[in-house]
Amino acid sequence: MAKLALSLPKRGRWQVAEQSQGIPVARPQATTSSFWTAVWSIVWKDLRIEQHTRQTLSVMLMFSLVVVVMFNFALSTDLDAARQVSTGLLWATIILAGTLGLNRSLSIERENQTIDALLIAPVDRRGIYLAKVISVTIFTLLLEVALVFIFTIFFNKPFWQPAALLVLFLGTIGYVAAGVLVTSMTIQTRSREVLLPILLLPIVLPLILPAAIATAEIVSLQPQMDTVNSSISLIAAYDLAILAVGFFSYPFLVES
Amino acid sequence: MIQIAGLVKNYGVTPVLRGVQLHVAAGEFVTLVGPNGAGKSTLMRIVATLLKPTAGEVKIGGWALPQHGDRVRRYIGLVSHQTLLYGDLTAAENLHFYARLYSVPDAEVRIGRALKQVGLAARQRDPVRTFSRGMMQRLTIARATLHEPEVLLLDEPYTGLDQDAAQLLDDLLLREQADGRTILLITHDLVHGLDLCDRMAILNRGKIVASLNSHEVTSSDFLELYAAHTGRKEAAGGK
Amino acid sequence: MNMTRLNRTVAVLNVLAFLSLLVSIGFIFLYAPVERSMGNVQRIFYFHVGTAWVGSIAFFVALVAGILYLWRPQRRWDTIALSSVEVGLVFLTVTTAAGSVWGKPAWNTWWEWSPRLTLITIAWLVYAAYFMLRGAIEDEEKRGRFAAVYVIVSFVSIILAYVSIRIWRDIHPVVFGGTLESAQGAEQGLQDIAPGLASMRMGITLTVNVVSFSLIYVAWLMNRIRLQLLKDQVTTLKMRVAARLQGG
Repeated sequence: MAKLALSLPKRGRWQVAEQSQGIPVARPQATTSSFWTAVWSIVWKDLRIEQHTRQTLSVMLMFSLVVVVMFNFALSTDLDAARQVSTGLLWATIILAGTLGLNRSLSIERENQTIDALLIAPVDRRGIYLAKVISVTIFTLLLEVALVFIFTIFFNKPFWQPAALLVLFLGTIGYVAAGVLVTSMTIQTRSREVLLPILLLPIVLPLILPAAIATAEIVSLQPQMDTVNSSISLIAAYDLAILAVGFFSYPFLVES
Repeated sequence: MIQIAGLVKNYGVTPVLRGVQLHVAAGEFVTLVGPNGAGKSTLMRIVATLLKPTAGEVKIGGWALPQHGDRVRRYIGLVSHQTLLYGDLTAAENLHFYARLYSVPDAEVRIGRALKQVGLAARQRDPVRTFSRGMMQRLTIARATLHEPEVLLLDEPYTGLDQDAAQLLDDLLLREQADGRTILLITHDLVHGLDLCDRMAILNRGKIVASLNSHEVTSSDFLELYAAHTGRKEAAGGK
Repeated sequence: MNMTRLNRTVAVLNVLAFLSLLVSIGFIFLYAPVERSMGNVQRIFYFHVGTAWVGSIAFFVALVAGILYLWRPQRRWDTIALSSVEVGLVFLTVTTAAGSVWGKPAWNTWWEWSPRLTLITIAWLVYAAYFMLRGAIEDEEKRGRFAAVYVIVSFVSIILAYVSIRIWRDIHPVVFGGTLESAQGAEQGLQDIAPGLASMRMGITLTVNVVSFSLIYVAWLMNRIRLQLLKDQVTTLKMRVAARLQGG
């Protein structure tokens, strides 16, 4: 500690404003306010990039449209069948398009190795995880706004109901929380994009199944509310558990 | 400022650093040279808190790494051979982002000044991906020094720079040095490194094999010494 | 650690595991009574429950080893986690196969997308992907870290899936085929069996099977760990030879 005191120049740079008993103390970085400042600045940065390029959202949306049209074509002989599977199709579209968003969001940090810049900044690594979850969630939610609109028109079911939106919102959080964690791994492997769906989809199935069941109930003619309620609590439990696991284990994925 | 003692780093069972010994005093400018695969970048990543050592001691400002990594990060600026810039953001946005990460006070003023210093004020609203390599590297320097780090780490900053850009980088480095920053530079450009720094260290096969005051040797002497230290080892390795 | 020679504990365990397998087969075919409604096919049930039990234990061991690896990154935790997932996946496969054979006479179908079977499928996929992840990472230390994180996430996800099939069944016994489900579950399977001496004999057979499968698991795990240590030793020796040749 004393060494730092000696080594610091006497011009009174702003970093050493805090001097106690002659020993400069490197600012403890773990304060709550600086944590959230870092999180929001990373989110801001991701949104800014998207604002400039519009790449993530447009790719996700185009992909979703292709999936929907393709399935409609496959099921076109039987419109009722298409309606029957529409909730499953909605969720399948979301998780498949979601992998594109996840890959894009995390490969941005690998392009010029900016992840290193985040890692040497005085930022809690868990904050990086949270920020990535927030920004990918925002993109996925924006995609879902469009999808709800499209699905309501194509399949003539009330996907815009508040309960359905709630399920979409909660499901997205859990999906992205698991997704950011898994993508942070796959992006550092040889197979990269190929590996992500293989690892991620089985892990999020326990979340997607109740989400799809709840959504199907909500948009059905006579929704059974106890199914919906129990599914929503399951989804919320998944969200919390995976967020907690991701929050605490993410640092292990970026430290070497 | 930087104290490295007995630093060992293995990748799996492959040793990369085998007991590195290096002290960099506060305000000193040390250039580290060595052949490819000597472990230069690994050493740099360990000092930059990006990589954990297998064994040995690394201290920055008296704080031991990697345990106190989060205490020293604020004092470190890194220029790696990657730009660490977001190509889709403008120059000003990149700096704004890093200013926020480091909670730099008076960000606006500092960013404006930094951009002027590296001669990019006119291009500050252009996306970085449209920049030339030299411009990117200048912006990289501005990014790395925006929070006025005590320790500046540079890993092959001359890669891909033309004569003018390299000259500009030299000037920037000399200014940083005059500001009292501790600088550790890694390069394979021997003569270039020698002109700027206070001390040269040669890293070969995971060890510092020589360290000398660069004001006291001529470049031809140094080249000879370098060949002796690295060439001899390699000849031995070829047997 | 010198593991080139067969460790005494492993040797003893191997013999014990083999004997216990013989004993449990004896119990299944000679001691356990014939089940009333299903007949002899029911005997596969003991295998099914025994392997299912070992599967869950194996994945739990992997979880613990994963957590320990993150806490203290030592190679042995990674070795234990890898070995346990590998053995667990084999047992899970056996469970599924045995369950399928059981399901054919019981429900007149090999496969039913009931929540429990869906859960097994998910678990199987999750843990099979574990090897995909490992295979895609060169660096040993990084592979250990990533695998540890993955094993933790998988376990949490499987536990949640398990909780969810429980909750659903409580609410919707009919929709999700309550009778089917209860016939298929381990504990429920026992309850449905006729009371008296017969069920006691069945209970004993089941216990013997669970114990002997646990022994087989431990023995198998130890052998697998030993194999991994030998592999590591070979790698180290190779490196040393290469270094010697290069260094002259």
